Amino acid sequence: MSAFAAVSGRFVSEHLRAPLTLVLLIWIPVFFVFIFASVVGEFAKALGGTLAGQAATAISAGWATAFLCGVLAFFQVSSSRAADRRLAIAGLGPGRVAVSRIMAALAIGITVSAAAFITLWLKSGIGHPLHAAVAILSFAIIYIGLGALIGALVKDALSGSLLVLLLFSVDAFTNPQMTSSSLSWTPTRAASNLLIAAGGQMGSPTADWVEMAAVSIGALGVALTAFWLAARARS
Amino acid sequence: MNVPTTTTPARRGLRPGLTREERARALGEKCATPGHCVLRAEDLEKSFHRGVPPFRHAIEVLKGASLMVCAGDLVGLVGENGSGKSTLMQIMVGLLGRDAGTVWHSGRLGYCPQIPMLWEKLSVDEHFELFTRAYGLQDGAGAKAADELLSELDFERYRAYRVEQLSGGTRQKLNLALALMHEPDVLLLDEPYAGFDWETYVHFWEMSERRREAGMGILIVSHLLTERERLDRVYELRDGRAVAG
Repeated sequence: MSAFAAVSGRFVSEHLRAPLTLVLLIWIPVFFVFIFASVVGEFAKALGGTLAGQAATAISAGWATAFLCGVLAFFQVSSSRAADRRLAIAGLGPGRVAVSRIMAALAIGITVSAAAFITLWLKSGIGHPLHAAVAILSFAIIYIGLGALIGALVKDALSGSLLVLLLFSVDAFTNPQMTSSSLSWTPTRAASNLLIAAGGQMGSPTADWVEMAAVSIGALGVALTAFWLAARARS
Repeated sequence: MNVPTTTTPARRGLRPGLTREERARALGEKCATPGHCVLRAEDLEKSFHRGVPPFRHAIEVLKGASLMVCAGDLVGLVGENGSGKSTLMQIMVGLLGRDAGTVWHSGRLGYCPQIPMLWEKLSVDEHFELFTRAYGLQDGAGAKAADELLSELDFERYRAYRVEQLSGGTRQKLNLALALMHEPDVLLLDEPYAGFDWETYVHFWEMSERRREAGMGILIVSHLLTERERLDRVYELRDGRAVAG
């Protein structure tokens, strides 16, 4: 087994051993898809948006994934910063610690995405399962990047988790389908379009696929940089 | 193996291929046996910046601290609270950047931080496994070192426990064991016995003396005057400078 696989395997165990994480892994997707989705249409209507029905259910699975992955990525950096730095100076180096961390974050992201995908499938079925799976995974990757970045820049756990929540709220509630006065661009805009289309058994334009891929790759770069910043020597 | 971790010998006029003795003379080394210097810090300076502009101000912690550890030396580092002992240690091991000065060490370096830097949800065995990878040890060698240290520090029964389930003293044993598992040539210990009971404390000094006799250079942050008789030399950090006692 490679050093990366061994180290990232331990990093995954470290996070999945928190009992609350496992509870959240089940309940956040259930809450978003079964409860939040049923009222989000009313929210959207009040805000001048068009989100309703099947589209609301589908996008809720993405938001559940985004929220969980953002919080977990933040705590991956925040709660392990000191031990990771010790591991780096012991010889692993900040680069290899960062790669191991990102592998662990992706493994957790895939688990979270699978939980959200299954919840969505149980609630309403999915017209284009493959498109939906890719879009949900993109939500996960984008928020791994954002959560890790906040973790690298904000040391205080309360401030950092509130910042993740704030970012998530701004992203979700300024989505083009959510409000008439939406921002022209949000990180999850293309992934939202794809997920809504996949839920309704429709294809998506190439532009959405390209934008989602570009944002996801950028988020991976941000996450790698954030994990490296957290593991390197302080100035 | 000489490892110029954070200094550049070329800048000091050291050409490659020098013998141990030539290098020692060039560095002005004062070890009893020339060429046995294992750690050398020179003119280290460090300031921390606090506050936001326009109220931002710098707190000068180190103002040219220098020290040296030879192979087989047990050296103490003392100083008042806030004098910069931990800062100096962290700069020497590479956890913290410095504003000026150089650090050089030879061979493998071990570091035991004052506050255990561990993962709460991982077990004792899993910590040894991770550090086996970090130190580049073979799996068998890592497992053997872990077995020996668990026995030597008498906490074998906790090897499957997670750190969050350990007492403060047992966490500190793990913290120390991780610094020792690759048998370093130079060992930096930042108050490593905090939380130890008396028996473990005495045992800790026996362990340190055994390793000193085997040729390990050890630098230890110490507070207690009674410990000074155990030490070969003592540096006192005063006004940001290390003064040989």
